[in-house]
Amino acid sequence: MGSSSGQYDLSFKILLIGDSGVGKSSLLVSFISDSVEDLAPTIGVDFKIKQFTVGGKRLKLTIWDTAGQERFRTLTSSYYRGAQGIILVYDVTRRETFTNLLEIWAKEIDLYSTNQDCVKMLVGNKVDKDTERFVSREEGIDLAKELKCLFLECSARTRENVHQCFEELALKIMEVPSLLEEGSTVVKRNILKQKPEKQVGPTQGCCS
Amino acid sequence: MASSSKKKHEEEDVGEEEEEFEHFDDFTLASSWERFISEIEAVCRRWLSTGPKNLLEKGAVQLGEQKNLYKIKSELKYAMKNYCMEYYFEISNSGKAADWNWNATLHELQLSFGVKEFMVIAPQSASGVILDSPEASKLLSAVAIAFSNCSSLWPAFVPVHDPSRKAYIGIQNMGTVFTRRFEGDLISSQVPVKLMHLEGLYELFVSKFAFSSSDLSTHLFKVHFTMKLTYKTLPYDEDNEAAVLNSESDIITDNGGDNNNNNNNNININRNKLQWDDDCPWSEWYTAEDPVKCFELVAIWEEKMVESSMEMAEMENASIHEAQKWFIVPEFSSYLTDDYSGKLVGFASQLRLLIDALAMSLEVKFMEDFVSAETSGSDKLRSSAVIPPPTVLDRVLKDLCHDGSEVIPPEGRHRSSRLIKGAPLETLFAQFCLHSLWFGDCNIRAIAVLWIEFIREVRWYWEESQPLPRMPTNSTIDLSTCLVNQKLQMLAICIEKKRQQDGTSDNSSDTHSVEANEESLNPSSRGKEEGLVKERDSTSKRSGSAGVVKSMMLLKSHTNMHAPFTQDPPIMTEDMHEERLHAVEVLGDSFSFSGQLEKDILSSDMSAFKAANPDAIFEDFIRWHSPKDWEEEESCGPSKDKWPPEGRLSDRMSESGNSWRKIWNDSPPLPASQQKPFMDPNREGEKILHYLETVRPHQLLEQMVCTAFRAAIDTLNQTNFGGLDNMTTKIDQLYLTLASSLRPLQANKLLGDTEILQDIKRLCVIFQHVEKLLTLAASLHRKFLQAPRLSQTIFNDFRNSYLPKMGKGLVNKEEKKNQQVRVGVNERDVVTGMFVQPSANQSWRRVLSMGNLLNGHEPVFREIVFALRDRVDSSYHAPNEREIETHRMYICGTSNDLRVALSVTSCD
Ligand SMILES: Nc1nc2c(ncn2[C@@H]2O[C@H](COP(=O)(O)OP(=O)(O)OP(=O)(O)O)[C@@H](O)[C@H]2O)c(=O)[nH]1
Ligand SMILES: [Mg+2]
Repeated sequence: MGSSSGQYDLSFKILLIGDSGVGKSSLLVSFISDSVEDLAPTIGVDFKIKQFTVGGKRLKLTIWDTAGQERFRTLTSSYYRGAQGIILVYDVTRRETFTNLLEIWAKEIDLYSTNQDCVKMLVGNKVDKDTERFVSREEGIDLAKELKCLFLECSARTRENVHQCFEELALKIMEVPSLLEEGSTVVKRNILKQKPEKQVGPTQGCCS
Repeated sequence: MASSSKKKHEEEDVGEEEEEFEHFDDFTLASSWERFISEIEAVCRRWLSTGPKNLLEKGAVQLGEQKNLYKIKSELKYAMKNYCMEYYFEISNSGKAADWNWNATLHELQLSFGVKEFMVIAPQSASGVILDSPEASKLLSAVAIAFSNCSSLWPAFVPVHDPSRKAYIGIQNMGTVFTRRFEGDLISSQVPVKLMHLEGLYELFVSKFAFSSSDLSTHLFKVHFTMKLTYKTLPYDEDNEAAVLNSESDIITDNGGDNNNNNNNNININRNKLQWDDDCPWSEWYTAEDPVKCFELVAIWEEKMVESSMEMAEMENASIHEAQKWFIVPEFSSYLTDDYSGKLVGFASQLRLLIDALAMSLEVKFMEDFVSAETSGSDKLRSSAVIPPPTVLDRVLKDLCHDGSEVIPPEGRHRSSRLIKGAPLETLFAQFCLHSLWFGDCNIRAIAVLWIEFIREVRWYWEESQPLPRMPTNSTIDLSTCLVNQKLQMLAICIEKKRQQDGTSDNSSDTHSVEANEESLNPSSRGKEEGLVKERDSTSKRSGSAGVVKSMMLLKSHTNMHAPFTQDPPIMTEDMHEERLHAVEVLGDSFSFSGQLEKDILSSDMSAFKAANPDAIFEDFIRWHSPKDWEEEESCGPSKDKWPPEGRLSDRMSESGNSWRKIWNDSPPLPASQQKPFMDPNREGEKILHYLETVRPHQLLEQMVCTAFRAAIDTLNQTNFGGLDNMTTKIDQLYLTLASSLRPLQANKLLGDTEILQDIKRLCVIFQHVEKLLTLAASLHRKFLQAPRLSQTIFNDFRNSYLPKMGKGLVNKEEKKNQQVRVGVNERDVVTGMFVQPSANQSWRRVLSMGNLLNGHEPVFREIVFALRDRVDSSYHAPNEREIETHRMYICGTSNDLRVALSVTSCD
């Protein structure tokens, strides 16, 4: 899980969703490494881990980048489980990626998210292509209100607002007590978990 | 006086007799008497000067039943005897003497004598000291002197006779030349017939001021008359003519009997009989006692003038509809207001038992261990835990596997239901859990027996490839439900797949109608029946085509593009997802990870596409599978027909080393029907049964607890209670509380932390409160279908007085006074409709003697106030005539007892 486990105070799971091609993987890569490269469409899912400090806390974010392709959708449902934050991404130059958020992705969240308190964030990507813009900032704000989301516009290409996006989300998660608790128990729970398993261990061996 | 006092003292305190005799002569000394009077006076002055508001700080207490009445007391001594002086007062100063204000609860002295604040002086009577009349009047005169000394205008009362008679005499200095005297008494048996009737009571009042009996007939006295009649409906539980239901009795049916799941007292009822809650959703599981025992109807005739006995007698025929004000007062069953009692049977009580079973399951490895004799744990467990006989077991299993469940429409479900990790109400596992609650007394052994037999039954469905009852196969697996339900869902799908393989399925015929459209990635059109498609094409190499994709031509060969049949995406239960996630996290190199399963799916799609389109190239596949990654050149009209079209792969797809192209190159053409399936239903089904057969008891019980809570609240939520707002919010809150409180169970933390069990037990208490409230709401709703305002008001009143006390011990007896609810004119018919004509053999029926019948019911209680007013010159100094009430008589009672209280104002 990386050499630096234990070097953080809180650990959260973040999920990126949205139509294919809106730039989820690009956003993630742009946040993780400083490079801006063109990536193949995600097959199923990818994830990256990023550690950084915000609000005086050392955070470990495990960010799951799902495929927007419909073919993989039944499988992506499992990645919603236990996510403390969900980022809904659309492409400001493609209107249907925006309308699909309400028609498809918000419903997926309702269906699969196991965490009632989980923090949602709406992100309009590709603002660098301003001349081709089809979704206005105001529309974005309105949808964010409707879905009870945080809202940001950014560009994976110019890396504008990319860091803010993840940081704001993390800060907001830390404001929710139940999520904060989940984030901080992850480390402890792993130790606790061992116990019952050890007890059960031997019997399982002889009976199966 | 001397003798009586002495006698009293002997009775009261024999031990001090001798000492008393020594001082015996002293008691008549003027000084002692006067000292007593001045002591009273001192107390009175103190209270007068302090004033009501400040008295509160000096130890005045509020009376329980009368919200606005306070009292303060002081003790006095006279002739070796202790007296207690009590001052009763109100805080809000409406100034008016107490009257039948409809929502005020009055002290009986206020009611009897028409006073507001007052004082009572009485011997300290722990041992029941009784004052006889001369003694009482002596005491009263002491008070009268003291009060006039300090010009107190308080009425003062002294009890006379046996306390049960509640007889008083009293006096009040009116501040002018007038003095008011009070006298009240009770006849507790053998009420003279004359006094049962209005006419006789009227004449009794008139006799107090008419000088001769002849006066009565000649004189017309303007008597003011006010009346309040109270009627009571028949108790609801005995309403139906069948054998009297004694729900309080503790009879427990024989546990071996066939009625075994009804072995608790409150549900020990013959099922043939129609219960009040027969059509309530919970009645499938238990019968609740009607929380509303009966209603009282209070009808008030506001003041009217009566001038003759004749006129008075007529009043007995007056219709209740002539009364100006109506109120109804519900009488609730005691179980509603008492705190948690083990006796009360409902979902809450059974859930509590289930939690006990969960606690017992922690130490045990397999469900079988509870059943087999040698290993069934402690002796205590074995002896106390009763397992219902096979007949009952058979019946329950039959019921479970009976596929008669109607599907609940989405709007019939509570929106928060999903938050509780259980199973939807109508599904197999939810029904299993509900049955477990009532199987035997829901002990762990009974549950184990039922579970083992249940799973045996499930295995039979699997082996025989029969569709699982109560399990839909058309949906994907709902990960928000509990694992057992997911497993059963998946098993149902596996059985369905097995049946398709065997060709036993009914719906495997409409194969050829599948038309793939351009963007045909709609999973439902992805064929399951690839094998059945015949080669329709001249290209002999082509296989697994689901049809031509309209207006799509292959780039190279310029022939029609065929959409392939593809494999269904694999289905997974949450533990499989978790395993996959775990593997990903462990194996995944965070910079180049991609899910293997997803790669397999992509590769499978590519193989199928290649098989259906032997001449296709990578670009063709992308155009079909991910159209957005194919960028058509923007060109004008005529070029549309140009072939090949101008277009190219998107940047991200055309990168060198693109993983999609790699997979394309590695995928052989192979129709889906010949590919290795993502999921082998035989294998997966067997794995599921293995899970079900070996599940750890505590893991099963954890899921059962969650599911049982969810199924119970889902059942209750279907109750029709007319949408009472307060009830709806209560239910909403309960859902959320359940969801969050039950979450620790899902996390499988129980083994380390038994405190969780305590928390969940507390949940039962909350559940029971809501269950009780809901029963009330349902009962009220059906009684007041035509007058919803009444049910709403009664419910809200109850809730408001009950909620604050929820879980805080017994409700104070004195505070139990039920609320009166005003009945509107348009609601009167609904209320009279509740007074069913009593049948002849109804034993409660007595000789009717009071008149004013309502549908054959006579009042259970009648209260009357007579008043006579006169104009008098009320002051010495001004010719100021005003009307005062010279005589007032309060009468209350039934045909068996009668209480009369008289106040007379006179000029001394
Ligand atoms: N101009 C511009 N292009 C972007 C930006 N972000 C992403 N792109 C491009 O948009 C295309 C799609 O980006 P991806 O990151 O692969 O999109 P995705 O959401 O991960 O798509 P799937 O994995 O298929 O769900 C790529 O060619 C990116 O180069 C941006 O901010 N500005
Ligand atoms: Mg991607």
